Amino acid sequence: MKALLDWLDDRTGLVSAWKERRQAGIPRQPCCLGVLPSTIVFTVCVEAVTGFFLWAFYSPSAQTAWESLYYVQYEVAGGWLLRGIHYHAGQVLLALIGLYVLAIIFSGAYRAPRELVFWLAVGMAVVTIALLLTGDLLSWSQRGYWSTDVRTKFLFLLPWVGSDAYKLAVGGPGIGHLTLTRFVALHAGLLSAVLVGLLALHGCWARRAARKAACAAEPPAAPNPHAARLGQALHDSLACAAVMAVVLVMCCWGAVAGAPGDQLPGGQLPGDYLGAELGAPADPGESYAAARPDWYFVGLYQFANYFSKVFSGMQIVPIFVVPGLLVLYFLAMPFLARSGAGHRINVAAAVTLLVAVGALTAISKYTDATSEQFHASLAAAEQDAVRVRQLIRAQGIPSGGAMALLWEDPKTQGPKLFRQHCASCHDYADAEGNGLLAQDPTAPNLHRFGSVEWLTGFGDAEQIAYAPALDKQTGKPACTPADRPRYFGGTEKLKEGKMVKFVKGNLKELRKDAGPEEFRKMIETLAAEATRKAAEPLANEAQQAIEDFTCLDCHHFHGQNKAPSGPDLTGYGSRAWLIAILSDPASSRFYGKNNERMPSYAKSPDKPEENVLSARQIELLADWLRGVWFEPEPSAE
Amino acid sequence: MADPVRPPRSGCCGCGDSPAGQARRGFLARSLALVLGAAAYATPLAVGILSFLNPLRQKGAAGEPIRLASLEGLPEGGPPVKVPVIMDRVDAWNRFPKQPVGAVFLQRIGTSEILALQVACPHAGCFVDYDEAKKRFFCPCHKATFDLDGKRLEASSESPRDLDTLDWEVRGSEVWVTFQRFQPGSTTKTPQA
Repeated sequence: MKALLDWLDDRTGLVSAWKERRQAGIPRQPCCLGVLPSTIVFTVCVEAVTGFFLWAFYSPSAQTAWESLYYVQYEVAGGWLLRGIHYHAGQVLLALIGLYVLAIIFSGAYRAPRELVFWLAVGMAVVTIALLLTGDLLSWSQRGYWSTDVRTKFLFLLPWVGSDAYKLAVGGPGIGHLTLTRFVALHAGLLSAVLVGLLALHGCWARRAARKAACAAEPPAAPNPHAARLGQALHDSLACAAVMAVVLVMCCWGAVAGAPGDQLPGGQLPGDYLGAELGAPADPGESYAAARPDWYFVGLYQFANYFSKVFSGMQIVPIFVVPGLLVLYFLAMPFLARSGAGHRINVAAAVTLLVAVGALTAISKYTDATSEQFHASLAAAEQDAVRVRQLIRAQGIPSGGAMALLWEDPKTQGPKLFRQHCASCHDYADAEGNGLLAQDPTAPNLHRFGSVEWLTGFGDAEQIAYAPALDKQTGKPACTPADRPRYFGGTEKLKEGKMVKFVKGNLKELRKDAGPEEFRKMIETLAAEATRKAAEPLANEAQQAIEDFTCLDCHHFHGQNKAPSGPDLTGYGSRAWLIAILSDPASSRFYGKNNERMPSYAKSPDKPEENVLSARQIELLADWLRGVWFEPEPSAE
Repeated sequence: MADPVRPPRSGCCGCGDSPAGQARRGFLARSLALVLGAAAYATPLAVGILSFLNPLRQKGAAGEPIRLASLEGLPEGGPPVKVPVIMDRVDAWNRFPKQPVGAVFLQRIGTSEILALQVACPHAGCFVDYDEAKKRFFCPCHKATFDLDGKRLEASSESPRDLDTLDWEVRGSEVWVTFQRFQPGSTTKTPQA
């Protein structure tokens, strides 16, 4: 063994350097600094190692970043833990470096001859923040994307260079592929190398300063005895193990906090509630309203809010000037401490800053915790995240990325399309008013359109043209969420049209004569049209039921009526029927000249660019109105 | 086993071995070494930095009007409607046809009179929501509020300027809008180039 060591020492000089270091002993550190340096080195190593292994899976492009991390989170054994450790250890690293800087200040170890050592520590804190900020975008989740959007747009505040700085930061006119590639190059490459470099220099020069201090002391300090060195080593390893334990607890916190409800096929996987959050993939068309800075900037965010209220339009101050001045102050501390009270002032300033940031952070968190609207935004974002996982588990991720799944999902897109194009006139809400309520309900409530329940109400004389009493001031029906016009009640002319007259007059008689059974059969026949297959022949009974109630006087129904004056009832409520009526309700097949105000959303099949909605959008709306979309099987549990 | 120490070489032509001569030649050699070495090392760095600066050459796509809505879908005097902007988008090496890239609030304030407001709040770019109950726009990020015309409601608002208006035109029964993004944080409305 000795021969091997001698051979190694002769080639590298490492063994004798180690022996010399051990014998010289680790100089006594000023108090409070004890284990922090080794925990920082340890955490940087954790980040480097987990970072490398994550990098072996990660694909930085707008269609593959979130998707590759989905793979890590759910399909790689222990992937959620790998990602979780990398994320949480990064936060812990910043906390440790922050504590370290504070400890240096409190113990006065930033003063001569250790100025450079202190500056390197401050530099490490800044680089770590940059690492956290660049790392945030890499998941390309809604949260990461929009947080980065806000942060990069801060660059516009810089005078003269703002626009160019923004373009360089995001790699183009806006955030996209090249932002990811730039951020990965910075995060995994340049900034990591810089951090390790700063750490190494800091260690070297700190040791040098300590050795000089030990030699200059009167009498010269003796090298530490073996026992003390062992004690320090034990403390260090205990501290590193404790840091690792804390990181692991943070990763597994989801198990403590309780897994969310059982909404996913195959039940809950560890990646659903353990490790780091993945959220929903980024959607550039849908801003993330619950975007908040990470914990270390919350205090500054709250300060910026207050500042903007007092001095509107000078955002550059809280975002760039104040933090810049603070950093400069920290760098100037060693020189300020030369004067008598300088050190005490520095300590007081550091404490004040800590307390102020802490208080601002607490206020901001409290405001959000008590804000209904913030919770609503979080819930909406969580809904999208759950939905995309449901779809991925059923269908896998297409080559265009996971967002394509949400864009093609009727359950997700239906309400959005409805809100944009239909909700000016139509409600989509249940009897209690839960759902989408129109601004001015002049058209039927489409909740469960075409169902037996809906059609029964339509055939009820009391309901077909129901409207609440008019409000004396506005002259319009006084609507509450639960009391609103139904069916034709809000229309201008249809509420006194032929259909309403029929329901209130002849139909009432026919119902009395035929009895509730027959009436129900007729309603069910109509409702069944929505799901009847084209090739299926109509049962005689069904045809009879429709004829008995004289529907054929005005409507087509699997046969030609010479002069129809109402919409075609063939295939009523089916996908094709809905698509047709959405495309052109004013066609002769539907309302024709009696069409009140409903626009034709796809009038020109030959010229799709002239249509309000694309064919796909109409299909999504139709599927949503019919309640037809993918739902996962309830899990076996 | 170290190599025998070689005597320092004198100038190659062997003449002028005076100390001043040696110093002069040493200076020339050192300078040449410095320049050559710097040029060599600087080349990949310069090439890298030059390509890194490529985004500064790019301009955003010039705003073309796109059809956003039909007049029929916008009742006159009605509430603002949030319309997503679907456009072709170029992202580095990809061209994406018809993608949602943002949104616009459209209001019909006259028979053929439209108000088109960018949904991005001029403070930090979050999309504002429309509060039906209070008939105003509301930014969920920092709580700035705007009236239906997009004007800031508070005397000292978070937002440095009112909601950005967009150019619009009515062609037949359709509303066409020139979608643009503007720099957040500034008191003046400047397009994001």
